Amino acid sequence: MNPTQPVPAQPTTDTVLADITGMLRTLLAEYGEDDVVIGMSTTFNRDLELESIDLVTLAGLLEERYGRRVNLAEFLAGMEFDEIIELTVGRLVEYVVWSLKTTEAG
Amino acid sequence: MAMIDAGGIRLHVQRTGPADGRTPHATVVLVHGLLTDSLASYYFTVAPAFAAAGLDVVMYDLRGHGRSERPPDGYTLDHNIDDLEALLDRLGITGPVHLVGNSYGGTIAFGHAARHPDRTASLTLIESEPATTAWAEKLGGILRRVLTELAHNEPDALAWIAANRGHNTARLAKGAARLARETTLGRDIPASRVLTEEQIRAVRCPVLGVYGGDSDLVDLVPLQEELLTDFRPVVLPGHEHSVLVEAAPAVGGHILDLIHSVGGVRAGVR
Repeated sequence: MNPTQPVPAQPTTDTVLADITGMLRTLLAEYGEDDVVIGMSTTFNRDLELESIDLVTLAGLLEERYGRRVNLAEFLAGMEFDEIIELTVGRLVEYVVWSLKTTEAG
Repeated sequence: MAMIDAGGIRLHVQRTGPADGRTPHATVVLVHGLLTDSLASYYFTVAPAFAAAGLDVVMYDLRGHGRSERPPDGYTLDHNIDDLEALLDRLGITGPVHLVGNSYGGTIAFGHAARHPDRTASLTLIESEPATTAWAEKLGGILRRVLTELAHNEPDALAWIAANRGHNTARLAKGAARLARETTLGRDIPASRVLTEEQIRAVRCPVLGVYGGDSDLVDLVPLQEELLTDFRPVVLPGHEHSVLVEAAPAVGGHILDLIHSVGGVRAGVR
C-alpha cells in the first residue's frame, strides 16, 4: 500500500483488499512476520495470530485511510464473541466497501 | 493511537465520544483487567454504545499491558492508581468521572475513588472488589499457581490450555507468561498496600457491581452491601468471570442506567 495514494472514487473489493493487506503487513512487521500470505479467507485470529489490541491499531489505520465512515469498533461491537474470533479479511473488506458506498449515497 | 506520558510512564490511550459533534455530558473512564486483558475489551464491546449515548469515553492500557510501556518493575496496586491519577491530570479531566473497572481494573478504580471521592461520580465494579487482605491473598495464590505452572513447563501448560480452553486462550496465556517473565508483576501485586475497612466505607458514591451468575465473586455481594452506602448489585446468570465480553450489551446497559441515574450533568467534561 502506498499511504499517499488517495482513496479511489469507486473503491472496489480489490482496491480495499490491497489497502487492508498493506495495513496488516505494517502490523505484522512489528512481530517480525513479513512472509504471511493474506487473502479474503485469511482469519485475523488463527491465521495472522493478531490479538484484539492489534485490531485497535487496525481500527486507527482504517480511520486514517477512510475517515470516520469506517468504524471497526462499531462493526465488531455488533458481533458475537465467536464471530470475532472467526473474522476473515474478506468480511472486513466487504464491510469497508459497503460503508464507503453507503456514506457516498447518503 | 495516542501515547500519553502519565508521570514518567507512557500509556496507550484511546478516547472517543459522540460522532455527531455533540458536547459529551459526562466522562466515563474504563479500566481493564490483569495479564491477558487490554483496552480492546472495552473498545470493541461497550465503548461504541457509550459514545453514541453522548459520553466522553476514555480507555487506556495498564502499564505492561497492551500497547503501553512495560517497565521491568513497579506493578503494585498503588502504581496503577498513581498512573490513573496522572493520566486524568494529563488529559485535563478534573471534574467527577464515572469509573468502570473489570476484574483487577475495578480494584484500581475503587482505589482511585477512595483516594479522590470528589473526582468520582460513580463506580462500576465488573467481577471485581476493593483491595482487602483477603483479596491480596486470593490474587497472590492465583498468580503463584499460574506463574509456577508456566515457569515450570510453559510449552506443556500452553498445550493443555490450547486443548482444553482453545487456541485463542492459549495465545493470551502466552502473552501473560511473557509479561510475568519480563516484570515483577507476579511479586508486586500480592504485596500491594490494601484498604482499611474505614477507607472502603468512605466510598459513598453509587457503586454498581456486575457479576457472572456462575462466578465465585457473586459470594462477595453481601459483604459489599454491608460496607457500601449505595451498592447496586446485578447478577447475569449463565456467565462467569468474562461477563464483560460475553454479555457486553447487558453490562453496557446497566452502566448507562447507573450513569443516567446519577445525572451526567454534574460530571466534569474536558
